[in-house]
Amino acid sequence: MEQLMTNRERMSALADGRLRDAELEHALRAVHEDAGAREAWHEYHLVGDVLRSRELASGPLDARLVEQVRAAVAGEAVVARMESAPPRAANDAVWGWKLAAGFASVAALAAIGWNVVGTAWSPPTPVIARAAESPASVASADQQAMIRDPRLDELLAAHRQSGGISALQMPAGFLRNATYEAPGR
Amino acid sequence: MHWIRAHLGRAALALAAVFGTCCATAQVAPSEVQGARVERPVGEWLMRMHEASRLRNYVGTFVVLSAQGGMSSSRIWHACDGDMQIERVEALTGPARSTFRRNDEVVTFLPISRVAVMERRESLAMFPGLLQSKDNAIAEFYSARVVGADRVAGFDAEVVQIAPKDGLRFGYRIWSDRKTGLALKLQTLDAEGAVLEQAAFSELQLDAPVRLDRLAQMMGNTDGYRVERPELQRTTAAAEGWSLKTAVAGFKPMSCFRRPAGSPEGTVQWIFSDGLAAVSLFVEPYDRQRHAQERLLAMGATNTLTRRLGDWWLTAVGEVPLSTLKTFAQNLERRR
Repeated sequence: MEQLMTNRERMSALADGRLRDAELEHALRAVHEDAGAREAWHEYHLVGDVLRSRELASGPLDARLVEQVRAAVAGEAVVARMESAPPRAANDAVWGWKLAAGFASVAALAAIGWNVVGTAWSPPTPVIARAAESPASVASADQQAMIRDPRLDELLAAHRQSGGISALQMPAGFLRNATYEAPGR
Repeated sequence: MHWIRAHLGRAALALAAVFGTCCATAQVAPSEVQGARVERPVGEWLMRMHEASRLRNYVGTFVVLSAQGGMSSSRIWHACDGDMQIERVEALTGPARSTFRRNDEVVTFLPISRVAVMERRESLAMFPGLLQSKDNAIAEFYSARVVGADRVAGFDAEVVQIAPKDGLRFGYRIWSDRKTGLALKLQTLDAEGAVLEQAAFSELQLDAPVRLDRLAQMMGNTDGYRVERPELQRTTAAAEGWSLKTAVAGFKPMSCFRRPAGSPEGTVQWIFSDGLAAVSLFVEPYDRQRHAQERLLAMGATNTLTRRLGDWWLTAVGEVPLSTLKTFAQNLERRR
């Protein structure tokens, strides 16, 4: 297989969900074999986490990174951010349905999360608002935003536990559910 | 270790003999199919995959990727002895958690909260009864054909396409180990054939020396953990006052629960399945403060729809197209 992409680029593409089939396989292998690729993957996660979670932007190094990224995206489309969230477990910030921004310049926001496909029937309520300093401007509901909702997590877990009536359960289906499973009870 | 292998060997032979006589089409010896494509009806493919996982020990790394870019992975240990299957799933991403399964008993260890959740998941025991029942919908709504050959985690596999016969459900592509039939990789596909989610072994060691007794021991060791045994209150949709105006083709109602058990203000979960995909309709009393936004959401192969139905709030979750969830939502009606 030709090295058409560096492993770093591969990690970025993987996180954006742009890879298919053989490329996907290749990226997967890279994650497991190449320490550099794993580092890139971790970095992309970290960038995303720090952007969204105050808890993680603790040290001066983190804060600087956040500011750099914020400056970079200042001219870009709005950052999608959930309104005041209910109290969460300490580890929720690093897992769960992360809020992803709609712009590709901030590399991988490879979170496990719910993607908003549409707000079908109700008049849109301002669930998406601009990040901290900037003047408020509401993003369109059509923007590729991810949301987090502990209640949905709960229902999803319930669906997987008792709704897993599938001939695909063994082993792939069960393993998929166990691997995917939302934490925290 | 030898006695386990010998015992397994005998069990495997016995099972193969029983399986051979029960099957409509005879199992073809591996040497005869090298290079040739063996077409089987969909039910037979599924049965073959299921049996393969019941007859072998294996250890591997399992990775789930979603079209939206999410990735999660886990380490798997699987041991079997006759009718007993034990699995250990160690999450490699996200918060630490270990899931153990012995047939239909599941114990999930959550080290962060020091809680061990013990459940009996009846849905796990339903297969292969699902395939053998006379009114199983699978062959009516899905067809299977071999579309190629490939290698996954070092194993030669046949790529089997399971295509839906209508637009109410997703399709699947399964990489089935050529020798054993074990499902190595599973893709869920939408109507255009785009991959919504992929679950695969990135690494696999078949017939690994996994000790069943050791796994059983780990599964039973709840020292330092608070054990929770969530109770499920079984009910019926009719008793809860719900019905479907028109059934959604292929999807049969399977069960209905009230969560949490014994709470009148709680949520009713009504579960449907077409044999491969499941849909859960969660209905609870409408609460203006909590239920602000009606939404359509996607995560990998799972879609969710939330909608207000008068005094009620519906959350429909399933590994089906959003349009199918909409059909369920439109047909759900209150009886009393």
